[in-house]
Amino acid sequence: MDYSDAIDRISRKYGKSGKEIDRQKVESKLRRLVEEFGVQPVEAERSVSNELAREFNIPPAAPAGGANGGAGGSGGATSEKSLAQAQPGEWLTFDGKVVSLAGSMSPSIAQSGIIADESGGIRFVVWAKANAPLMKEGAWYHIESAVVDEYKGIPNLKIHSGTTIKELEKTDALIPAPVPVKDLRPGIGSVRAKVIQEWEVTHDRMLQSGIIGDETGTVKFVIWKEQGKQKLAVGSVYSIFYAQVDEFNERLSLNITGATIMPEEGDIATVTGGDGEVRGAIVHIAPGSGIIKRCPVEGCNRALSRQNYCPIHEIQPNFVYDLRIKGWLDDGEKTHNLLLKRDVVEALTGMTLDQAKEIAENNPLGMDEVFLQMRDRVLGRYVVCKGREIDNRLLVNSCELQKFDSGEHAKLLNRAGESMSNTGGAS
Amino acid sequence: MSANPQDMGNRRDGSFEREPARRVFAAELRECRYQFKDGEDEKSPTFVLLPTGERSNRIFLVGTLTEKTRQGEQNVFYRGRVVDPTGTFFVMAGSYQPEAMQQLAKIETPAFVAVIGKPNLYQKPDGSYLVSVRVESITTVDKDTQKLWVLDTADRMLNRLDALKNGTSPDIVKAKEQYPTLDPAVYRKMAYDALAQIKM
Repeated sequence: MDYSDAIDRISRKYGKSGKEIDRQKVESKLRRLVEEFGVQPVEAERSVSNELAREFNIPPAAPAGGANGGAGGSGGATSEKSLAQAQPGEWLTFDGKVVSLAGSMSPSIAQSGIIADESGGIRFVVWAKANAPLMKEGAWYHIESAVVDEYKGIPNLKIHSGTTIKELEKTDALIPAPVPVKDLRPGIGSVRAKVIQEWEVTHDRMLQSGIIGDETGTVKFVIWKEQGKQKLAVGSVYSIFYAQVDEFNERLSLNITGATIMPEEGDIATVTGGDGEVRGAIVHIAPGSGIIKRCPVEGCNRALSRQNYCPIHEIQPNFVYDLRIKGWLDDGEKTHNLLLKRDVVEALTGMTLDQAKEIAENNPLGMDEVFLQMRDRVLGRYVVCKGREIDNRLLVNSCELQKFDSGEHAKLLNRAGESMSNTGGAS
Repeated sequence: MSANPQDMGNRRDGSFEREPARRVFAAELRECRYQFKDGEDEKSPTFVLLPTGERSNRIFLVGTLTEKTRQGEQNVFYRGRVVDPTGTFFVMAGSYQPEAMQQLAKIETPAFVAVIGKPNLYQKPDGSYLVSVRVESITTVDKDTQKLWVLDTADRMLNRLDALKNGTSPDIVKAKEQYPTLDPAVYRKMAYDALAQIKM
C-alpha cells in the first residue's frame, strides 16, 4: 500500500505551522497501524497526525458532553381453571384435600397450609375475619369462591368471609406426580430427588439446607425448624410432595418444611448437577483472586485475611498458600460467576503456586502483584469453562483459551453474505 | 410451611444479576440515539438502546488502542480511541475508576486491547450525539483475541438482526420506534465487512 498521499497531507498540515515532519518515521507508523493492527487508513492517518500535534504542541479538537433519558414498560394477564394453574386474580370453586398445615404466624391468620387436587397444590391462607371452620390435615373439602392472589411471587389462595367450606366424606389418597427438577416453577411442586450436598446452617431457625437433584438438574432446598421435622440424609433419594418453590433473583429454591417427605428405595443413576460447558469472555476478576492464605486447622481451610485472621480460629501464622480466581464469564447474553481452583488457575495463567509464592514473598507489591499479573493474563480473554454449576456459580474443573476457528469464520461470512443478498433482493 | 420473610432462606452471598456485556461494533454504537433508565431509583441501571434492538448497560470490545490522552489538572482522566474494523470507540477512565485509569495509563499505543465498560450517550452543544465508553477495565490482548471478538460480535449482531425481523420483545419494539429508518442490510454489510477484514 502507498502512503505518500497521507504523508503529503500530514506534511502540508504541519508545514503551515512551520513544522517539518520526518516522512520516513510517519510512513513506518502508518504502515504499522494499518498492516499490523488492521486499523483503517483514515483512522491511522488521524492517529499519526494527532500524535504529531502533541509532539509539536498544537492543540487538537476535543469532544464535549450533555445527557438525556427516558423510560418504558408493559404488562398483561390470562386465566385457567385447575388448581395447579390458578392465576392471581381468579375466583375458584373446587374440591381439594388439605395436604399440609402450618402454624399460624399472625393473629389475623386463622390457618395456612397447602391444599391440593389431582392437578397439583396451592398455598392457602384462612383469614381470622373469615370465621371459617378449622380444616384438618388430610381431609377433603368443597371450597366455594376463594380468591387467588400472589404472595412473594407465588400464587396464594385466600379464604375470606365470602368463601364457603364444606367437609367432604371423601378419603381418597392423593399422589402427586413428581416433576423433573428443571421443570419446577414458583408455587407448589413435587419432586423425586437425591440429596447431593448439605450446607452449613446459617440461621438458628434453620434445620438443614443444601442441594437436591435428579437426572435433569439441581435445586437448593431448606427445612426450617418445626416440631417433628427431620433432616434428610446426604446421598439418599426422597419423594418430596407439595414443597414450596420460591423464586429469588431468578433462582429457585425448595422450602420443604411443610412437604410430605418419603424415603425412596434405590438410587438416581446420574444427577447431572448442571454439569456444563460455558463459553465467553472473562469480564471481571474479583478481589480475593490470585494467591491467598488458608486456615491450616484441619477441616477449616477458610481464606484468611491479610493479617492471617481466620473468622473461626483467629490468627494463624502457619497458614497454607493457595491459588484461586473468582470472576465473571460473559457471553453477551448471560453472565456466569466463576470459581477456579488452584490447578485450573495454574493451567490457565501459566503461573504455578511456587512461582506465585515467590512473587508474594519477594515482590514489593506482594500478593497484589500476583493478582495484577493474573488479571493481565486472563481478563478480556475468550475461554471455555467446564464444571458444575451450583447455586448460580460455576465450580470450574477446566478452563481453556478459545482458539480462532477458521471454519466458524467461513460460516459467519456466509451467513452475513447470504442474508445480505436476501434482504437486498427483497427490498 | 410458613411464609415469614426470613423463611425465603435465599439471601446467600449478596446474589445479584450482573448486567451482561453486549458485543457491538463501533459503527453500530455510534448510531445510538436513545438512552433510558430501568426504574425510578437513583441507582437504577442506565441503558443505551442499540439500533438492532437490545439494551446495553455494559459492553465488551476488543480493538486497537491508537491514541490516549491525559486530561484535567486536579481531576485527572484519560481518553482513548479504540479502533475496530468498522470505526472508533471513544473510551475514558477518570478518578472514579482508578484501577481502569491506571491500566489505561500503563498501555503503550498502538496495542490490541480488551475493554469492558459502560456506554453513555451525550448530546453535544451542536446537537450531534456522542457515545463514549466509561472503562471498567482494559487489558492488552493478542491478535487472536481480537479475531475471536470480531466473530463473536458479528454473530451476536446477526442474531439481533434475525430477532428484529419478527421479534416482539420490549427492546425490539422500542428500537423500531426510536430508529424507524434502520436498514438491516446496512448492518449485515457491516458484519460482512468486519469479518472480511480477517484474512482467511
